[in-house]
Amino acid sequence: MEDPGIAERLVDSLVRPDGSPKKRPVHTIGIGATGSFLASHVARDYCISKHFQGTETPVTVRFSNGSGSAVQHDGWSDVRGMATRFHLDDGTATDLIAMTLPEFFTPTPETFLDFALAAKPAKFSRESPWRKILDMLKLTPPMRDPYPGETVRPDEGAMRFADRNGYAQLAVFQAAAIGAPASYDRASYHAVHTFVITAPDGTRRWVRFTWQPIAGVLDTNPNAPPEDVYLQDKLRERLALAPARFSLMMSIGEIGDAFDDPTRPWPPHRVRVMMGTLTLDTVVKDQEADCERLSFNPGLLTDGIEPSGDLVLRARKDVYEISSKRRGAVPCPFSRSQANDE
Amino acid sequence: MTNDGGWFDRFVDSLPERGWFKFLSTYVVVPYWVWRDPKPKLPGGPRASAQPSENVQRMMNLIMPLKDSSPIGRAKAALAIAQNVDEIFAGLDNVGTVHTARFLLLDDYICMISVYDGDFSNYIRDFIATIGSVFDEVVSLVEGGDDLIPTTHNVERFIDWVHAHDLFQAPDFPTDLFGLQDTASGRSPDSPPHELRSLPRELILQLNANPNISLGGGYRAYPGFSAAQVRGKFGVGW
Amino acid sequence: MNTEFDSNDLQGNILRGYRRDLVRYLILEVDNPAAARRFLAAAVAGNNDAVPAITREKSWTRKPGFCFNIGLTYEGLRALGTPSDCLATFPTEFVQGMTHRAIKLGDFGTSAPANWAPPFNHPERVHVVASVYANDTPQLDQVQDQVARAFNVLGVRNGYNLEDDKVYFGYVDNISQPRFNRIDDPDQAKVDEPIDPLGTILLGYPTRFEDVLFRVPSPAELGHNGTFNAFRILAQDVAGFERYLDTAADALLRHPDVDQLLAPGEEDRIGAGLDRHGALREIVAAQMCGRWRNGVSYEASPDAAVVPDPRAPKFRTNFDYDRTSRCPAGSHMRRVNPRGGPIVQRIANYTRRLVRRGMSYGPRDVDPRKPENDDQEWGLLGNFIGANLGAQFEAVMCDWLNLGLQDPNITGSNDPLFGANSPESSWFDLTLRNGGTIRLRGFPRFVTTRGGAYLFLPSLPAIRYLSELNG
Ligand code: HEM
Ligand code: HEM
Repeated sequence: MEDPGIAERLVDSLVRPDGSPKKRPVHTIGIGATGSFLASHVARDYCISKHFQGTETPVTVRFSNGSGSAVQHDGWSDVRGMATRFHLDDGTATDLIAMTLPEFFTPTPETFLDFALAAKPAKFSRESPWRKILDMLKLTPPMRDPYPGETVRPDEGAMRFADRNGYAQLAVFQAAAIGAPASYDRASYHAVHTFVITAPDGTRRWVRFTWQPIAGVLDTNPNAPPEDVYLQDKLRERLALAPARFSLMMSIGEIGDAFDDPTRPWPPHRVRVMMGTLTLDTVVKDQEADCERLSFNPGLLTDGIEPSGDLVLRARKDVYEISSKRRGAVPCPFSRSQANDE
Repeated sequence: MTNDGGWFDRFVDSLPERGWFKFLSTYVVVPYWVWRDPKPKLPGGPRASAQPSENVQRMMNLIMPLKDSSPIGRAKAALAIAQNVDEIFAGLDNVGTVHTARFLLLDDYICMISVYDGDFSNYIRDFIATIGSVFDEVVSLVEGGDDLIPTTHNVERFIDWVHAHDLFQAPDFPTDLFGLQDTASGRSPDSPPHELRSLPRELILQLNANPNISLGGGYRAYPGFSAAQVRGKFGVGW
Repeated sequence: MNTEFDSNDLQGNILRGYRRDLVRYLILEVDNPAAARRFLAAAVAGNNDAVPAITREKSWTRKPGFCFNIGLTYEGLRALGTPSDCLATFPTEFVQGMTHRAIKLGDFGTSAPANWAPPFNHPERVHVVASVYANDTPQLDQVQDQVARAFNVLGVRNGYNLEDDKVYFGYVDNISQPRFNRIDDPDQAKVDEPIDPLGTILLGYPTRFEDVLFRVPSPAELGHNGTFNAFRILAQDVAGFERYLDTAADALLRHPDVDQLLAPGEEDRIGAGLDRHGALREIVAAQMCGRWRNGVSYEASPDAAVVPDPRAPKFRTNFDYDRTSRCPAGSHMRRVNPRGGPIVQRIANYTRRLVRRGMSYGPRDVDPRKPENDDQEWGLLGNFIGANLGAQFEAVMCDWLNLGLQDPNITGSNDPLFGANSPESSWFDLTLRNGGTIRLRGFPRFVTTRGGAYLFLPSLPAIRYLSELNG
């Protein structure tokens, strides 16, 4: 990497006063579950990776709230994460890390550093009624009122950043209104970056992945008072009744698509392939050992899947390793795909 | 959401639901902004695009004001379509690029809704060449349509006219509206960037210029494939 | 409608090519409308030694020293003072101009108008494109000097005919052209392709679409017998193309079905002295174009480039495609003119014909195939002429040359030679003897647009009309 310090600085930039050095600096609160992934009968025509060959692959998933606050506020509007580890039959693993926001804030690690600093959660004051009236007359929505107990938030800084940097607008706009899911298994999660997959005949395709909940996407009522603690119980409750299932959808990129730019999602009209079904049936017993101390890494790929030229994706490999080391977690398994060793 | 900002804040939050405030917004605030920052009408139909999958299964939502929207006028329109079913179906089969097409009578409009592959002008031109006479009949029922008859001799004008009556298709990603508005006003898109919070206002003003629009590019069950590819796969000949 | 046809009224570059060695395009701005109109008046009258005469369509007994013709953009018509109610009768694509149609034409990325070479990056100033054909440079210079007295010369583009009518990439070009009734063209004497109605190429006549007439801009004096031209400056990546052929041949040598592409021992039929790799390169090149580089139609001779008489009509023009064709549906030839072959738009066969006039450009003393010369530019100065830009040039570009809508087996892919390709997404199917295919991928963009303009090519009476405007 050109700038050896960027990964460190990125991790530094995420630290916030209400976080915890023992925990993840973002996506701090989460819950793990296990189950299996079964590739669809066409998946192997597109990708030679082991988990797409049609036999069941055991998986570990960690759902999370995107916020770096160590205090749980499930009901607050926030991006949610879904980190999936596929345990391949040769003892290796591959990760797919996804979130409810379909695009990222910035096109490069350097610009993300600027963004992280500009949008650092900061003290804010509630918008006054007079100011709200002014906003209504300007036909712009007033800023969201604070949740009870909310004293810092990234919104104002992110908005200011987006006003200066057009590329951040879509993510900031959508993140501002993203809300809270009714349950972790009632949201769509996007892996955002482009990956390059290899088919049995050697064909390489530039693709993006999304998990879609088969139970359907459902958010809480944004006008009802937010509950601070419900997502983990809800997941336990639901899995006790029946497994949660997700479809893995894959879009194939075309000429002119943003292969290397995570701020630009692809329109929903690309050829779309149903790659398989994830079934989660068990909440991890020892959350601390078997989930919280795990380290996922978007650079943990396997033969048949490579990173695209997306600089954010490429930078994340080191970022997640450093973060994992800092919080004393179990290091992520050695990644074997040579493409990751660049 | 609970509100602990006091009674006045609660009151302000409730304004958008209050009748007098809605009245004020509709008859004063919005017209003020329309006057201050008028938006050009954005062009209809799908936008030109480099990607093959954006160039198949494109939507046409053609909304044409009826000259006579009384039951008699509507019946005339219904008959015009009914009597030309052979022409229309044969035409569609031989144009070859249409997935679905149908006519609607909706309030004061006759609407032609279709999903087609490829370029809009080519689709319309090929169509005129095969069923120009049916188009003549349809546009004779429509306001402003008489100047276009016979359509076979007014191909260019007819294409422009259809384009103008095709609904604007809102972008798939909301913030792209800024760029479309810039381009329509002859500015270079998003430079400098717009104030993000002005997006709802820009949408309101755009809906004033384009009251009827198609919301996004729509869902497709099997995106990226042409009608002929689907027919080919089913073994029914293309 | 007036279908009376007097070929003397036409500019001479529409129905026929001049077959001269050199061309010079003068890209002009009308900075003094009165001077420009005086120039046009003299150019039509042809009675002023200080002004080049417009070359007309007529069979000359003695070849003139040079040929001179003009095309105008919408901005150019306006600059000359064409009244706005007349301007309003021109078709939308012409009014908007080529740069506004960029995405439709595949002009994005490196081909985007913002990256075009001057003066085409300022399309509003491009008013007139004049062409001068001659066999020597002093002739061209002399005409340019004369033109420069009446117009502001924004730019100059020089072209030349490569040996044997070749283009860079090594193919013989200028073989297939539409042919018209009432036009007697010795080049086309033995061609058996269907006759194209005059409305394909001139405004005011019946078209290939039954009953359809393209609108003649008014007044009739201005529009009648005029036509439109898509003038394109297309840079060709010669080294990249040859490199691609190498890579493709390497891959094919390892392919299990390669013998279906080239039977062992038949390399000599592809070219004298070629080894297997060399022969496979030529097969890939031939299938991409639809012609072997020597001009022989791939459809007419799918297994051999070496034929007894490569100039025989059956190898050049007299063939058609069908469902068993060996010429790939995705080849350049079948995309730009599917002839009578099967296409999805069943009513569109022969409706999108184009008259093509092109010459090559670029430094002649340097080898374009050498990668060390990558900083130099070679290409084609192309004219794609038809009565309706939307129905012909654009229709071919956006549905057929790119996208491939005409055949479900190629839909979603672009012309392998000239399409808007990116290695990540491009593909092209080679056909095999046994009816199978081998899919090639990874085609970059070999041709980049460097400039261009939509031009109206007025008749002689129309030029006179323009010269008499005021304002
Ligand atoms: C430069 C951009 C990014 C930076 C610097 C960054 C940073 C981080 C860090 C430091 C962690 C904690 C890792 C650990 O301690 O194990 C993390 C976790 C996470 N990130 Fe990112 N991230 C970036 C982009 C993204 C993107 C684009 C996505 C979505 C596709 C994403 C989704 C997640 C998720 C879901 C987790 C939680 C993983 C878990 O449950 O262990 N991040 N991120
Ligand atoms: C650098 C760009 C191009 C080069 C070097 C090129 C080269 C060629 C060659 C070698 C042929 C075969 C010779 C012949 O049949 O006359 C050909 C045919 C043809 N090309 Fe191109 N071409 C180019 C771009 C285009 C474009 C952009 C179009 C159309 C929009 C086009 C339309 C045609 C047509 C209509 C034919 C005749 C096909 C037929 O009638 O069977 N070409 N071209």
